[in-house]
Amino acid sequence: MLAIKPYRPLEGKRLALVIGSGAVKCAAALGLWKVLSQAGIEIDLLVGCSGGSLFAATMALGMDVDECIEKTQRLWNRKVTEKRDMTSLLRAALPRVFNFNERFGMIDDQAMVQNLRSVFGEQTFEDTRTPLYVVATDFHSGEQLVLSKGRLVDALRASISIPFIWPPWPVDDRLLIDGSASNPMPVDVAIKDGVEIILAMGFESSYPRSVSSISRFAFHVNSIMTNNLLKANFAFHNLAHHAEIIAIIPEFEQPVGLFDTSKFPYVIEQGERAMQEQLPYLNRLLAAESSQVK
Amino acid sequence: MTTGIDQKRVAMVIGSGGVKCAAALGLWKTLQQAEIGVSMAVGSSGGSLYAAVIALGYDIQVAQSMTIDFWTSDLMEGYTSNLRAALSGEERFTEFSGLINDQQVYERLANVFGQHTFADTHCPLYIVSTDLYSGESVVHSAGPIIDAVRASIAIPMIFPPWQAGGRWLVDGAVSDPLPIDVAIKEGGETIVAMGFELPIRSRMHSYAAVTGHFNSIYMNNILKATFAFHNLAHHAEVIAILPEFERDIWSFDSNMIPYVIEEGTRAAEKELPYIRRLLTIG
Repeated sequence: MLAIKPYRPLEGKRLALVIGSGAVKCAAALGLWKVLSQAGIEIDLLVGCSGGSLFAATMALGMDVDECIEKTQRLWNRKVTEKRDMTSLLRAALPRVFNFNERFGMIDDQAMVQNLRSVFGEQTFEDTRTPLYVVATDFHSGEQLVLSKGRLVDALRASISIPFIWPPWPVDDRLLIDGSASNPMPVDVAIKDGVEIILAMGFESSYPRSVSSISRFAFHVNSIMTNNLLKANFAFHNLAHHAEIIAIIPEFEQPVGLFDTSKFPYVIEQGERAMQEQLPYLNRLLAAESSQVK
Repeated sequence: MTTGIDQKRVAMVIGSGGVKCAAALGLWKTLQQAEIGVSMAVGSSGGSLYAAVIALGYDIQVAQSMTIDFWTSDLMEGYTSNLRAALSGEERFTEFSGLINDQQVYERLANVFGQHTFADTHCPLYIVSTDLYSGESVVHSAGPIIDAVRASIAIPMIFPPWQAGGRWLVDGAVSDPLPIDVAIKEGGETIVAMGFELPIRSRMHSYAAVTGHFNSIYMNNILKATFAFHNLAHHAEVIAILPEFERDIWSFDSNMIPYVIEEGTRAAEKELPYIRRLLTIG
């Protein structure tokens, strides 16, 4: 007897793209998308975490590949990182005098928020053409929070609140931080939605060559923990669930720093290459009879 | 399958959790009273102290008083002024730095472990730390115990990393906060794993508090993810013991230790009938 789940649409299998955290490296998703567009394959669901959420959102709004490249370059450039948040730094050094609180970040986030507004305006999740989920972390409980309602600017700003870099961001009555603190490559969100095939693009954080300040040390330790969390979560989801998960992990021979936006073209190319390698397998999965999937 | 006294042994895994790890002494006491032996001891971070004490076969009373002497708040001396100097750039902070002078910690560890090596233990001992550069977990099973424990408890930013075997090492909790996988790989059949979630703060008034909070979030999420995986992937029997603390326990809260041990005993007693059943069925 064939067990066909009721949610499966008749026309075929649903495909999700999950873009994990990885700052500038997340632009590799645009390379992946280029390959899918050329092959005429559509994405039915987008999930993004941290840097990955920016790319997932532009894709979900239905922009074409070139437009996405242009918009995301506008979002993420040297300008957004050049202004240090002096108040935060002073508060850290002299907590009592300057009334330190948990909304701490080393970099002034005004430029980033402005950029997000200029690209996404007042658009909400309801305006997306493809369903979109954005993953953030509840700052107080440490648990994963999946956002699928409200203004895109808020969800994205929350998801990219890299610890120590950008301050947490309030959404409704919760204070949120970077999704990578709970789930750096959230394949489980796509699994729960019931899609049949998941493309999971993830990135390991790279470590700085040397550590010269306490905030860099903190950042280094966070990168180690993000990587260990990525591996542990992926191992679990891969083992526990039976959706087809195709991991696409681009390789970068050149170092790509956290704000190395000049590497965009190189990163996109590597994403393209990584997707090309998996394309025959994806095509095979898409072509297979639904009835073969129990 | 034969049953007998020989088989009445469990592998003990003690996870990270600072002072809370003392609850392992309550578990150990419960096992001893039930005449259940320890076939191996595995520890990460604060848990490594107790894994080592158990593997060395110290008397429980001695272990308890050593614990109280160990976790006192004067360990943190100099912390605030060093933090200020590091943030202002007055003091250079590198990957080898920590905010407290670790000599005192080292001396206390030396009081507990002296010159003991892994070869001196009554049962195999494995201690987990993390490679500072690759981020991977490192399992120690040879050499001076003090080196392994010192590396394993190197809480990021507070204690400086520790060099052993040509590698720079930090806190085991950064990669493997509850190293059940080590017990499985080393052939543990019945594994009793005591783990702790790190405390979550509601208000944060300093950079250090925020840093500690981020660490807690990550470590708790790594704990859950690795535990979910090991539980699913392996067929060894894993009995998780997660003591509940109604009172807030912070690091260096040594007067809480009797309470912590008591909660460890209580949690262990709850699982004892199940452990017994597993051991007699074989």
